[in-house]
Amino acid sequence: MASDDELSLLVIVVDVNPIWWGQQAQREPEFTLSKCMDAVMVMSNAHLVMTRSNKLAIIASHCRESHFLYPNKHWKAGDFAGDESSCGSRDGKYELLTVGNDLISEEIKNLMERTEVRGQQTETLLAGSLAKALCYIHRVTKELDAGQEMKSRILVIKAADDSALQYMNFMNVIFAAQKQSILIDACVLDADSGLLQQACDITGGLYLKVPQKIALAQYLLWVFLPDSDQRSQLVLPPPVHVDYRAACFCHRNLIEIGYVCSVCLSIFCNFSPICTTCETAFKIALPHAMKAKKKKLKPTT
Amino acid sequence: MATSSEEVLLIVKRVRQKKQDGALYLMAERVAWAPEGKDRFSVSHLYADIRCQKISPDGKSKIQLQLVLHTGETTNFHFTNESSAVKDRDAAKDLLQQLLPKFKRKANKELEEKNRMLQEDPLLFQLYKDLVVSQVISAEEFWTNRVSMNSVDHSLTNSKQEVGISAAFLADVRPQTDGCNGLRYNLTSDIIESIFRTYPAVKQKYGENVPHNLTEKEFWTRFFQSHYFHRDRISTGSQDLFAECGKLDEQGLKSMVGQGVRNPMVDLVSFEDKSLDEGYGISSGPSTSGHNKTLKENSNAAIIKRFNHHSAMVLATGLHKQDAQNEQNGETSSTDGNSKDSDFFQPSVKKVKLKESIEYADLVQENGRKAVSLNLKKSDRYSHGPTPVQCQQYATSQDIINSVNCIRHETANYTPRLTQVLSSSTASTAIAALSPGGVLMQGGTQQAINQMVPNDAQCELKHLYVAAGELLRHFWSCFPVNTPFLEEKVVKMRSNLERFQVTKLCPFQEKMQRQYLSTNLTGHLEEMLQTAYNKFHTWQTRRMLRKT
Repeated sequence: MASDDELSLLVIVVDVNPIWWGQQAQREPEFTLSKCMDAVMVMSNAHLVMTRSNKLAIIASHCRESHFLYPNKHWKAGDFAGDESSCGSRDGKYELLTVGNDLISEEIKNLMERTEVRGQQTETLLAGSLAKALCYIHRVTKELDAGQEMKSRILVIKAADDSALQYMNFMNVIFAAQKQSILIDACVLDADSGLLQQACDITGGLYLKVPQKIALAQYLLWVFLPDSDQRSQLVLPPPVHVDYRAACFCHRNLIEIGYVCSVCLSIFCNFSPICTTCETAFKIALPHAMKAKKKKLKPTT
Repeated sequence: MATSSEEVLLIVKRVRQKKQDGALYLMAERVAWAPEGKDRFSVSHLYADIRCQKISPDGKSKIQLQLVLHTGETTNFHFTNESSAVKDRDAAKDLLQQLLPKFKRKANKELEEKNRMLQEDPLLFQLYKDLVVSQVISAEEFWTNRVSMNSVDHSLTNSKQEVGISAAFLADVRPQTDGCNGLRYNLTSDIIESIFRTYPAVKQKYGENVPHNLTEKEFWTRFFQSHYFHRDRISTGSQDLFAECGKLDEQGLKSMVGQGVRNPMVDLVSFEDKSLDEGYGISSGPSTSGHNKTLKENSNAAIIKRFNHHSAMVLATGLHKQDAQNEQNGETSSTDGNSKDSDFFQPSVKKVKLKESIEYADLVQENGRKAVSLNLKKSDRYSHGPTPVQCQQYATSQDIINSVNCIRHETANYTPRLTQVLSSSTASTAIAALSPGGVLMQGGTQQAINQMVPNDAQCELKHLYVAAGELLRHFWSCFPVNTPFLEEKVVKMRSNLERFQVTKLCPFQEKMQRQYLSTNLTGHLEEMLQTAYNKFHTWQTRRMLRKT
């Protein structure tokens, strides 16, 4: 029976943007990065304890790098016996959890210590972290024994704002995850993120903007701990309405009805006789002094 | 009153109806009776309305003719002419007998058609019930469009395919021995039909002899006994009915051979079998003439000739119709090789055929269409997502440095305190928000509308939509209003729509409101009707303006 268990891999991507968290520490001292990491640890312990065969990975998404907090490259499961400083668990916890927690805290400390922010690199490298998560999932899938199946999902805990420059990479990651049937869940602490809403909608995950940051652990355990099979049996928050409107190429306004060039498919909010992207000339016939027919651009649902 | 254009087929005087003397008039489309001395018909029935006629038995003193209508009404005519009552009545009866079937079929057919349509299509039936039975529109309006549509289909289904003839039909008549030296042949009507179609000579004989000279059974017995039917046809003199058939067959075969095959690609003459020895190649020696053939060879040749003739006749029955059609269309196709003018066109026909067989459309090199290459000047536009350019929160470099220092300081002293992650009050607030009805769960109840409304209400709503759709279709098809007929129709449809709303829609709405939640099921229907009313109103005002 044990070998029939489907493996479940949870990859948590935590946004540890130092600038945002630093400002957050000044705004709301009761919820800081430490609290957030505690909540993440509670969630990951709970996941590991649910089933023996559950697997876990945690990635910290920084403005300069994406770093694996867990598992560590240099650490092997059977290694802890040789480590004196952390031998055994002090509070009777399952050994794996103790080691894991220690590992995570150590890694996050090291990561934050070596933070240096240069120039304009103030945005979280979320697309890169997601790509790393996908690669990790892919690697673990390859290392499975024959006949074992694995279901994986990615949980993104997002703090800072979206980065517009990462749009293409983000969309590629989303579609890759969709192809691999990997769910992307999103737990958003501050401002709503359109990209993550799309990610959740496309891959079939859950999107939640937490109203109270200090209760983060509760939200994580209630909404994001069950896997996709169990979610169908539970009553969870309904999906959000995703804004799929396109932005016009000239002003980057979000529009619902616009003009599309039939050659290069670029979108404009006003008619112009020459498409500025591909320089094709267009003529519009004006029948009976009516306005030119607008080609409707419907928002995809 | 008789219309002057009606053709009077028979007048019978001295016919009483309801104890009144008068005369019976049989016209082209109806039968009528006028009392004596008057020139107006008091009784008039269309042949289409008459279901059947009855006559009084021969022994009775009263000589009567009764007409039964479809509605069940009966009309009696009493023939009182002393001398010729029976003859009169019989004349009237015969004429009616001829005329009634013609009209009967038409009337019944329409009704039958309508009934059939209603039975086959439950949706149509429901629509009929909703619209006609509840008096929203009249039955004629309902059927105007539909009957015309379906009579076309009907005629199409009538042209069925002809069933072909199996070449082995004669062999399929397997004789069975019936005990003592006799044979039983079982003939079905299919086999008889096949024989007649393949061998028209036999059909002719049948027509000549049956039933005047021979019974059918005798005919077929003779057929099977005759050597015409047997393997080796040796003509045994003229006693046999079918000897003539044999001769006709021979002639037919000769003419067919003479006609030959006109396919320029096929050279049948070189297909002669002259082998050197058993299984060996072709010898080109002089062909042996008919005299030196052995008896066996003769009989073999005869059998083969009969087989060929039989197959040719079977094929001819199939091609017969096709040839007739081809002649009508004036084609001179040589696909079956039998066209008559192919002699004149032979070189070009050969060329065309050769060309057809060597060219394959999908192997021909495609003339590549010149494509216009895409020339993008500003391709970086594609890589920006639909995120509008917002003013980002600007952080001064001092802020950045402060934040980073702050966070480093904090994480340096970080130890996980997992027992103090959550207080019970915050946890319970969070749970409350996540429970059904909580802050975060507001959007979830929208999905259940089809579970909240019961099935019969859903069915009724569907029927309403179908009926309303039909009426609206008629209404909207009247625009643009060009003819006076359309004007009338528009006005009529407007009143129909109103009637529909009052009789069907409002009760349904009230029922919904009484029983169920306030879900607005009929909002869309009302919207559609209102649009129709608005359109009618604008059209009407425009018409008024034009008139004044």
